[in-house]
Amino acid sequence: MPQKNNLDKVTGALPDVWWSMQRKSSISSFLVSILTVFVTVFCTQSAVSATPDPTEQLRPFLKKVTETLADPGLKAIPKQEKSRRVIGVVRERFDFREMSKRVIGQQWRNLSEKEQGEFEALFTQLLQYAYVGKIDDYSGQQVQFTQQRVKGERAEVQTLLVDKDKSIPVSYIMLLRGDQWMAYDVVVEGVSLIRNYMEQFSEILRKDGYPGLVKQLEEKIAELEKDIKKT
Amino acid sequence: MRQKSYCLRPAGLIIGVAVTVFWWISLAQAVDFLSDESYEKPVADIAVADPIEPFNRAVFTVNDKFYLWVLEPVATGYSKVLPADIRDCIGNFFYNLGEPVRSVNCLLQGRFRDAGLTLGRFAINSICGVFGLADAAGHEFHLAPVYASFGETLSVWGVGDGFYLVVPLLGSSTLRDFSGTVVDGVAMATYSPWNDDALTTATAQGARTVNRTSLHLGEYVEIKSMSFDSYVAFRNGYYQMRSKQFDHSDAAKK
Repeated sequence: MPQKNNLDKVTGALPDVWWSMQRKSSISSFLVSILTVFVTVFCTQSAVSATPDPTEQLRPFLKKVTETLADPGLKAIPKQEKSRRVIGVVRERFDFREMSKRVIGQQWRNLSEKEQGEFEALFTQLLQYAYVGKIDDYSGQQVQFTQQRVKGERAEVQTLLVDKDKSIPVSYIMLLRGDQWMAYDVVVEGVSLIRNYMEQFSEILRKDGYPGLVKQLEEKIAELEKDIKKT
Repeated sequence: MRQKSYCLRPAGLIIGVAVTVFWWISLAQAVDFLSDESYEKPVADIAVADPIEPFNRAVFTVNDKFYLWVLEPVATGYSKVLPADIRDCIGNFFYNLGEPVRSVNCLLQGRFRDAGLTLGRFAINSICGVFGLADAAGHEFHLAPVYASFGETLSVWGVGDGFYLVVPLLGSSTLRDFSGTVVDGVAMATYSPWNDDALTTATAQGARTVNRTSLHLGEYVEIKSMSFDSYVAFRNGYYQMRSKQFDHSDAAKK
């Protein structure tokens, strides 16, 4: 039987192979260590490239937001409290620090730590009040995910806000922080919220500097707050 | 030999200029939200010069008052008379009338697929959609509407924006895009059902505007209340919206 012969040959040859391996042990251990390094690097790299899916992270978040908005209990409470509750949910996946940084642009670096914190708080409050009207507008519109684009640590998740007879394209621009995708811009029908405010702020910054911007933000917030309390 | 090199020089120059222009056009049209540069220099890449800002601001104020005092009250009353789905149908009807012009613009831009699609939409909606009252092409045939205008055609041909222009009653535009709007309007007037006299055309346009406004009530005031300088906010919004309309890449499609 040729098979058995072959087997004999292999078993007979084993000691030889064994010895030759022993002789080359220094080389083989070197090769093994290289292999180990290679495998380790490869594994960590594939772990990095296997980044979490932005759509899969955004989906439960938007579900939570729409559920919060659809909550019948929300209708009864005052507007200001309502907006506070919604922004609390929104904070989970929106990075207001990153938004503030981008909306200020290159001048962000010139601001002191205290000023940066102050601006972040004001800008967050502005968005909270500016979108409070939208809370009451919500009447069961559904979110459809159309496509996503990932480029390194940035991602754009495109969605459609489907209403009765029209659908509005809304994109979320996100940044990877650790293993979490955090949104820093919303693009509605091609208009980016951050870039729109950025152009307005840059004119204010050019004319009146940072103190002028803070003053205008405070005035705007007070104005919106008055409207909220009135209704 | 010497003469030849002289001949070549302008050709090289033209090619160089053309390449630069195309590079600029591609730069101006592709706004990549995923690149940091689009945030660091937000104004330069999509904005157009606004040398007649004082004039534009004056027209903006007049338009603002016209909207708040005339258009919105009329549209609000109109919206109470007609239910939203009928107003949608009227909007569809006007949009459908523009499809042939859109199709020709697609052809002029070399977008042959879109030209066919737009013409197909026009045929389907005019027949199955009862004179375009329903968007059967969009809903049943999944042929989504595509954007095309003569302003865009001019941009594809390399014509620059000129400058930002706020047109009375019409709002944000640029010199080039407003010229395009006029050309599109004249082209549409050749076959629209109300080309008999100026009064009928004006009435039709007015009806269209009131109908459109009635479907977007409250949006203008809301954007205004959110903004610090509403003139700048609307100018920026116009640029951003337009760069999306002019972008027909796969990434931009929904």
